[in-house]
Amino acid sequence: MTSTAEAVPRTRAHAEAVPAVEALGLGRRYGTVWALEDASFRLERGQFLTVLGPSGSGKSTLLKLVAGFERPDRGHVRLFGAEVDTVPPHRRPIGMVFQRLALFPHMTAAGNIAFPLEMRRFDPREIPARVERFLELVRLRGLGHRRPHELSGGQQQRVAIARALVFEPGLLLLDEPLASLDVRLKEEMQLEFRRIQRELGVTTINVTHDQREALVLSDRVIVMQGGRILQEGEPETVWRDPAHPFVARFLGVGTMLRGLAEAGPAIRIGDRRLPGRAPNPATAPRPGRPAVAALRAERVRIFAASGSPAPGTGFACRVTDTVFEGDRVLYELIVPELGEVRLRAVDLDPGGHARYRPGTQVTVAWSPDDLLLFDASLEPGSDP
Amino acid sequence: MNDPSFFTSRRRLLGSATALAAGFAVPAVLRAQEPAKPAELIVRAWGGVWVDSLKKGVSDPFTAKTGIRIRHDLTEDNEIKPRIWAAVQQGRTPPIHVNWDTTANATSSALRGVCESLADLPNLAKVLPLAKPIGLEGVPIVNLYSYVYVLAYRPEVFPGGAPTSWSVLLEPRFKGRIALYNDGIGFHPVAQVMGGGKVSDIPGNMEPCWAFIRKLKEQKPLLGEDPDFTNWFQKGEIDVACTISSNAREAKAKGVNVAWTVPKEGAKVDTDGMWIPKGLTANELYWAKRYIDFALSTEAQQVWLDGLGLPGVAPGLRPPADLVGDPSYPTTEKDFERLILIPPRIQAEHTAEWFARFKEIMQS
Amino acid sequence: MALSPGRSGLGAGPSPAPYRLSWRILDALEAVAARWPARAEGAIRWLLLLPALLVVGLLVFGLLVMGDASLRVMDFRTYRLSEQHSLANYVRLWGWGAFHATLWRSLGATLLVTLLCLVLAFPYARALTRTSSARLRRLLLVGLFLPFFVGQVVRAYGWLVILGQQGLVNQVLGLLGLGPYRLLFAYETVLFGLVQYMLPFAVLMLAPALAAIPEEIERAAASCGASPVRALLRIVLPMARPGLVAAALVVATLTLTDFAMPAILGGGTNDFLANLVHDQFFRTSNAGLGSAIALVLTFLGTTVAGLLLALAGPGALGVRGAR
Ligand SMILES: Nc1ncnc2c1ncn2[C@@H]1O[C@H](COP(=O)(O)OP(=O)(O)O)[C@@H](O)[C@H]1O
Ligand SMILES: [Mg+2]
Repeated sequence: MTSTAEAVPRTRAHAEAVPAVEALGLGRRYGTVWALEDASFRLERGQFLTVLGPSGSGKSTLLKLVAGFERPDRGHVRLFGAEVDTVPPHRRPIGMVFQRLALFPHMTAAGNIAFPLEMRRFDPREIPARVERFLELVRLRGLGHRRPHELSGGQQQRVAIARALVFEPGLLLLDEPLASLDVRLKEEMQLEFRRIQRELGVTTINVTHDQREALVLSDRVIVMQGGRILQEGEPETVWRDPAHPFVARFLGVGTMLRGLAEAGPAIRIGDRRLPGRAPNPATAPRPGRPAVAALRAERVRIFAASGSPAPGTGFACRVTDTVFEGDRVLYELIVPELGEVRLRAVDLDPGGHARYRPGTQVTVAWSPDDLLLFDASLEPGSDP
Repeated sequence: MNDPSFFTSRRRLLGSATALAAGFAVPAVLRAQEPAKPAELIVRAWGGVWVDSLKKGVSDPFTAKTGIRIRHDLTEDNEIKPRIWAAVQQGRTPPIHVNWDTTANATSSALRGVCESLADLPNLAKVLPLAKPIGLEGVPIVNLYSYVYVLAYRPEVFPGGAPTSWSVLLEPRFKGRIALYNDGIGFHPVAQVMGGGKVSDIPGNMEPCWAFIRKLKEQKPLLGEDPDFTNWFQKGEIDVACTISSNAREAKAKGVNVAWTVPKEGAKVDTDGMWIPKGLTANELYWAKRYIDFALSTEAQQVWLDGLGLPGVAPGLRPPADLVGDPSYPTTEKDFERLILIPPRIQAEHTAEWFARFKEIMQS
Repeated sequence: MALSPGRSGLGAGPSPAPYRLSWRILDALEAVAARWPARAEGAIRWLLLLPALLVVGLLVFGLLVMGDASLRVMDFRTYRLSEQHSLANYVRLWGWGAFHATLWRSLGATLLVTLLCLVLAFPYARALTRTSSARLRRLLLVGLFLPFFVGQVVRAYGWLVILGQQGLVNQVLGLLGLGPYRLLFAYETVLFGLVQYMLPFAVLMLAPALAAIPEEIERAAASCGASPVRALLRIVLPMARPGLVAAALVVATLTLTDFAMPAILGGGTNDFLANLVHDQFFRTSNAGLGSAIALVLTFLGTTVAGLLLALAGPGALGVRGAR
């Protein structure tokens, strides 16, 4: 079996040089629809990559191609430097946690965890100890004899993680395993993933539609839409400089404004010219053409109608809704000057000053750095 | 014209008028006190050529004479029997009025005592003695005709002429191409002779019979029932069979080249009859008897049995043209000499036992 | 029942939409349902079960009658069952070669037909539940349900036509200069007919069990390093066990008690126990011996079913209990 990924050269010098995963122009078509198109990325060893995108954007398809459950219609996958197009999934050095966990219901937790060891021909004498070690790693000591349906949702998650990791795969794939959990359990499990991943140093690809999860967990982030990769980078970079209006919106920017692009760069709405910043030259609007601007809600400053920012930079507006969320207050505002557009603003320090009730007149302002400008044609039709 | 009583009485009138015209053989005294007619009588019959000829020869003329409709119930004889037995036991009305049955099968009902006596049928005095069952008390059954279990064969496999002995069944070339009844019926006396035994030893010692059947088993025979034989000859599944001549004749009528013979060792002859279950109302019983009495008449038998190609018990019957001189249509003393008749009572008392032995050999 | 507000008004405001008859009926039903005493619900449940219980009760009654008959011996001089009870019929069965041969033939067929049906039904059911082609699925479904419209007897006669000396198969062989061969009237023919008859039942019982196994589970097995064969043996088959047991149960009990296939395709020398029962009741009129065989057959069927269920463990049919 010389061509299998498990037989990839493992000399240290070589190992440092090649990335864990390389996707080269991957494409997968169902019928006439491309579920994934021209996806290329590279993932270094030990890194945690999150693929972020809405439902149906092709995330699972990408994982299926990496795991080998399906063959790409275009492009290639390389694992640890070796092309694996002809390697069946059970010969790839990959552990996976599935969306619906896919625990084997007729086996105990320990049986589930031992299964990959038996399949991958581990020394039978070594198996029980290893299973114990991983039960401990996922904090399930003493529960190994239980069947999956005798475990809570979180415990089942942990069994699934242990099963995916117990044979120390080169790569761990997570297909939205946390999607169905409630918020508290989800946050707990996110941290758990992070801890285990750091502890074992296993290269990981995580798939999610939850932007918070992506930012919390990852070394790198890929944002997908409609089967295409829109942006790849470190979480902070992607957050700070979304390369595409869709990315900005998906990361929860707050408000999208429409207008005409001007040099500067800036966007004109009505008679007002709003200076901003184009985070990516490829998606920057050309002057005179329609543009969209993403305004970060948490960067909008609110002043009482009397107090005001530097002259010429603020906008008078009316509070239409106030939502108290404990650690922050969310405002919805209408700006007559910008054609009655609705703005969202977040006050992250609600204790620090007065709260504005609906109907109150206030003034808002922001820095040009927080107004991100894009070519409007990238964002067909949809109005925030 | 809508008055039903008028209608029925008119029809009844018409019916008796026709009966008179036909010279219906009923003493005037009897006719004078005729009980009420039922609207219909149910007669159990076998399907195919059997019911067709019965309808033509007996039922339709009976209806014409009496105005009583005849409905034919085609339930298998073996399946109607337990139902009649249960009805009689529980004092219910039996499911049929007249049962057309093999004499051996009917005898079991007679032994159980579910048959009405038919001793007073007027025509009984005029027909062959064969009509009255041997070995039973009274006349619970009336035999109507006889039939022979012949050796039927495909002439092309016997270019030298008809086989003369049942021993051809053992010829290696017929392995898997011979057929018998699946209960062995019709074959026991012949097998007894072929096995070196005597017919008179039946039922006391039938080991020769079983020995021969064991030899036959090596020939991988097909076992079936009446329609199977016709079918198997037609589809080329078999070359030789022991079956009732009617089946062979029917296959021939369907264009299959089949002939039959009574070999030198002889062949079993049996009779079919009719009987009436207990539990009918007096008038139904009366008209059911009249039906059977009519079935005994020469007039009815000539048409009915021409269809079946079987010799009846009524006097003065003319054989169908194709069966004149045929060994399966015995008419003379000499014809009957070669045929073996096992009294139905012995058959009835031993059917189960013979069946068990036959199955034991054939199923293992 | 409350008056609908639309009608209680005194004509003020726009006239209400006509109150439809179907609404009135539903209102009335709801009113009745609301008055229904909660305690009656238990009674209703039993009432709904009643027909089924009656049928089962009749069956049990029938068995009791047969049990009684099986202990009485037929006297062929009077064609009546004896007054006294004895085990004579069972003793006779014990010593009757035809019974032994038939018994083992029935049991052997049950085992073989069940195994063959499971082996053949599995890929069929799997293709049916896994294929992504709607056309193939439709084809498989038609292939599955079409035989149900053709009764067992008709199908058996169909085989006579196809496998006979002058049948389709022998005609084709004849074109190749072969045969004709005797394809009918052998044990193998009966088995063939039975497998062909039972296969749809097996598929029908198996398909839901296979459909209930998510594709993700099989991917999980692969990601654990299991080859397709090992995933089948270690994951899919154990998970399909309820379906396999249900299919085996149906096929085994139907085969064990089958009558038509051996009668029509067996050529008279391949009887099953049901044929023997039929012969005793309807040919030799021996209700005593017939009942005894029928009871042995019932006992065998129950034992086979019990063994299969025991093999499957509790809750095998998805009845409440451990999954
Ligand atoms: N087996 C399949 N057959 C047909 N279409 C599919 C199949 N799997 C996925 N798709 C389609 O491909 C697109 C991407 O699917 P998927 O990768 O599952 O998205 P995600 O995981 O991001 O929700 C979707 O439009 C989906 O309907
Ligand atoms: Mg998905």
